Amino acid sequence: MAAMNKLVCCGLVTIILAAAGCAPSATKPEPSAASAPAKPAGQSPGEGQRGATGESTTGQSSLDELQKGKPPTSGPLKDIYFSFDRYDLEGEARETLKANADWLKRNSTARVEIEGHCDERGTNEYNLALGAKRAQAAKDYLITIGVATDRLSTISYGEEIPVCREQNESCWHQNRRARFVVIQARPAS
Amino acid sequence: MMAKISFAVLLLILNHGPANAQPKGETGVRGEIVGQGGLKFPIAVSPLKNLGTTADVGKLSEGIADTIVYDLDLSGWFKVLDRAAYIENPQKSGVALGSFDFKDWSTIGAEGLVKGGFTIQGDEVTVELRLFDVFQNKERVGKRYVGRVKDYRRIAHKFADEIINQFTGVPGIFNTRIAYVSTSGGRFKEIHIAHLDGSEKFQLTNNHTINLSPSWTADGKSVLYTSYKDRNSSLYLFELYSGKEAKITPRNGRYLGGKASPDGQFIAATVETGGNSNIILLDRNGNVIRSLTESPSIEVSPAWSPDSKQLVFVSDRTGSPQLYVLDVASNKSRRLTYSGNYNTSPEWSPRGDRVAYTGRVGNRFAIFTIGVDGGELRKLTAESADSEDPTWSPDGRFIAFSSNRAGKYHLYVMQASGENQRRLTGSGGDDTKPSWSPRLE
Repeated sequence: MAAMNKLVCCGLVTIILAAAGCAPSATKPEPSAASAPAKPAGQSPGEGQRGATGESTTGQSSLDELQKGKPPTSGPLKDIYFSFDRYDLEGEARETLKANADWLKRNSTARVEIEGHCDERGTNEYNLALGAKRAQAAKDYLITIGVATDRLSTISYGEEIPVCREQNESCWHQNRRARFVVIQARPAS
Repeated sequence: MMAKISFAVLLLILNHGPANAQPKGETGVRGEIVGQGGLKFPIAVSPLKNLGTTADVGKLSEGIADTIVYDLDLSGWFKVLDRAAYIENPQKSGVALGSFDFKDWSTIGAEGLVKGGFTIQGDEVTVELRLFDVFQNKERVGKRYVGRVKDYRRIAHKFADEIINQFTGVPGIFNTRIAYVSTSGGRFKEIHIAHLDGSEKFQLTNNHTINLSPSWTADGKSVLYTSYKDRNSSLYLFELYSGKEAKITPRNGRYLGGKASPDGQFIAATVETGGNSNIILLDRNGNVIRSLTESPSIEVSPAWSPDSKQLVFVSDRTGSPQLYVLDVASNKSRRLTYSGNYNTSPEWSPRGDRVAYTGRVGNRFAIFTIGVDGGELRKLTAESADSEDPTWSPDGRFIAFSSNRAGKYHLYVMQASGENQRRLTGSGGDDTKPSWSPRLE
């Protein structure tokens, strides 16, 4: 007690770290219970619907494939590529888009989701916006050359789902792409 | 021959003011002027004395001292003397003034000294900690803390904050956390939080998709982030106390990112429609108030000024991403950066005077700061590797960021001047996009 009295006379301030006032881990939530339950790979909402079409030409979104741990498969439509921090269509990209439009004309019931992707360089949020621009540029061009608007949708994955994970220009080039996923080969009944 | 630095001299250095200035309670006290290779204050942090009868099975004696050493070292202002050189046996000498010999400490070159004791009762511990001026044989400050044994690091962080307060007039920032994105070695990106010393790691999301851009609400109670868990990118708010997660943005919108305002009233978000990304003002619950930009160019990454009246954001309206400052009331914006052709991820200093951001230099990315008036541009990291995504400490004295200088992306912290760059504990995966919490209780 003598020691305690001395402390008090020296002006020590006792600070109670009350349990209720403590930092977050005071009530440590269980991550799995706290956040929404993890979706087991292969049971995401979009995918069942897509699988139900039963057409061999239907593909899966890059997110579905990431969840399954599979490399992205190539469908009937070819990817187009972009320069760093650009979303304008180069000559080669336009040629690919014309070929993709031809396929869409032959398969008149197919609907396509256009994915915009970026390389890993730069900021995630900016790259999400850049990916959206790339997907939209591809969509706009397809519409210009005669594909119906309602057959096309877009989504950006920014730099988040690369096809190549090395740090060099050849790899970055492969990642700066728009990907075309056939999500429905027959009209919904 | 290096001049001896006394408490008074270090106070002077850190405060950048006259010797008779009273540092306590002042605002705008600057601590970062201890220059490159500058004088560091030699301090000893003794292991604590067990004052009770319960055995120290949790090794609090060293654990508390180690935590204080880590914090002081991280600050960059102290030279913490190696424990192996200490003469005094902490279990056999006293804790209070007069019950130990200052010579044991001046002999080894210490000019500051941290000593303390603790008493364990059940799962509770009482800890007293004192800071001494060895040069003047005086006690500078003493505090007693009561907490749970398992929270002993928080007690140590609090006293480290107090030590910084003694030297600079502004408490330290060691009772804070960093929220960040980690792959943890897997292919998904999940949100994690951890203390600066890597303790109390906690995984916020576990939805096996892509979760991005965490940021804290001003009260430190929630983390806002972007997630693809419902296929389309949306903003979610995770409440740390309850573990409750809620999607806060409208169902049909695509939200690429967002940040809560310091006054707690608003969220500035990036929304994408038809390929165009623009900044939008939401209320704290995610309801749309109005658009802040309406442009066909890319407009992203809004970050609030400390008074919640302005935003700094990224726009590529001139053909390359540059930073702009927007006055929220008038919707008027002005360009901030003119140097470089790729400037992104801005964060406004809590002091209000500078903006930190990621800029491209050649083929690399580096952290820069710039005055809010566009002056005094400073590059803080070397372009031998990429450094990205700066975030300010709540006192504006430090910046955390992610860098691939050691291969994978890890989190680092440095003084706001760019000095004393230190790696924080890694996860084994790529750790990116740090967000520094406000001061926590």
